Amino acid sequence: MIIDVHVHYRGDAQLAQALRQTERLDMVLCLNSINLEGTASPHFPSAAFVAACNDRTLAAARENPQRVIPFWYLNPAHGDAACAELRRRVAQHQRPQGVKLWMALKGNDPRVDPVLDLCAEYRLPVLQHTNIEAGGTLPTETTPQEMREMAQRHPDVTFLWGHAGSDYEFGVKCALGLDNVLMDIAGNEATNGYTEMLVRHLGAERVVYGSDATGRSFASQLAKVYGADITESEREDILHHNARALLARQRYD
Amino acid sequence: MIDANAFLGEWPFRRLPYAQPEDRLRKMDALGIERAVVSRLENVFYKDLLVGNEELHAIVQRYPDRFIPAYTINPGFPGWEHDLEVCINDFGMRNLRLHPNYHQYSRLKGNVPRMVEARGYPNYQQYHFLDDQAQALLGKAEEHDLVVLISIGVEDPRFAHWLMKVPSVTMIDAAEAVNGFPGVRFLICGAVFSEVNSLWSTAYHQDNLYFENSRVQGPIGDVDDLCALMGADHLLFGSNLPINYAESAKLSIEYAEVDSDVKQALFRGNAERLFGA
Repeated sequence: MIIDVHVHYRGDAQLAQALRQTERLDMVLCLNSINLEGTASPHFPSAAFVAACNDRTLAAARENPQRVIPFWYLNPAHGDAACAELRRRVAQHQRPQGVKLWMALKGNDPRVDPVLDLCAEYRLPVLQHTNIEAGGTLPTETTPQEMREMAQRHPDVTFLWGHAGSDYEFGVKCALGLDNVLMDIAGNEATNGYTEMLVRHLGAERVVYGSDATGRSFASQLAKVYGADITESEREDILHHNARALLARQRYD
Repeated sequence: MIDANAFLGEWPFRRLPYAQPEDRLRKMDALGIERAVVSRLENVFYKDLLVGNEELHAIVQRYPDRFIPAYTINPGFPGWEHDLEVCINDFGMRNLRLHPNYHQYSRLKGNVPRMVEARGYPNYQQYHFLDDQAQALLGKAEEHDLVVLISIGVEDPRFAHWLMKVPSVTMIDAAEAVNGFPGVRFLICGAVFSEVNSLWSTAYHQDNLYFENSRVQGPIGDVDDLCALMGADHLLFGSNLPINYAESAKLSIEYAEVDSDVKQALFRGNAERLFGA
């Protein structure tokens, strides 16, 4: 069993292909939809757009209950409406789930706090996109330093630190000493030494497998786990133990 | 399996495993890779490439059944004709590696602004790939029937050191080379999925055009899609070791929804044909 904490529902054909592979690999997908069929992901999505995306995710989870765990796409810039969307989704789906925060605001922006407080109540994991790279970042992307501030301000929330910061060497150093974050290895290229560095500095209990499919392949991202010079026990932690433990402690009331 | 694209040696910005030949051979054995086409990784940065090429030749002499050398030449640096002569006459060179972006071919002769596809890096794309010296080198490659490996990119740009923001070779430049030398067999190395698609669709002559899959790391179904686009004869397994986990390219082919004989061609048959291995 493998749990992939970072999968995007881009299009129906790509999801179908992904689901075929999950059967072969015995994988469960933490799925979020940040676009509609045939559309791109808007930088400032409306509440209606967000709801339509989550309808897709809910439908996929209901059709594939053994393979799909929904991660609700929320735009924290919507304030109360974002909280209402989350309450509605939790009421609809009394099973394991999580939240995928959209990057319309930086994660350490105080306007994000109400949504995170609600996530703490439900004990839902929060997937937060992070990025820093020599080529620059978008104005509202969350850098690893800002992710650290976000995690420190919300100790009752467990964060999936998306892409391990993109520049993982930078990201891992920003995550030192935090016990409410799991570094999500999704999305960047399968570079030798990547996972070993995360495990060495944070411990395997702070690392989770994610792919960023369907833009990335499962193969390339699983290579970061299967190709790493780590113990079998550490591999198991990254592939499913850590994510399973995270999803097991939720409440839906 | 034959690995069509790998390097031996150190990378200046992080310690990488399997950089040295003995470690590499253990890794190759573990993965079932019998032979690998290798270049000297230090030659991405050295000015005197003959140093790296001599080191590579010495390694290959020790392990002739495991490593197939691809010697690196920089046609933008004085004396490249001499380097080439040594590699051909003394080392028996059959394969030529080019790094047009790191070596910035015509830059030393003065700025030749070439901003297309690299607008985010205005200070780093001031070269022209196919200048007169590069054309002369490709002419020599044709004359000696060398396989030409063009490195499009070596590492994920997200991980680049802040002083080393090197954009990939543009597909316009690569297409200009491929289209200008239809008699040369080109292996395009380190291209991502969109770059492979772009170059294939802009190449006038596709018979001599090949790609390896080390940095084709998505989207889902990438290998299936490229086989459908190009046919299975033009894609080869490549690891990009020691930069990348070799398992990425290997699993990408193993997970592909293609016939087993296609997988065999990608893992071995196509490389045997191209390199005469």
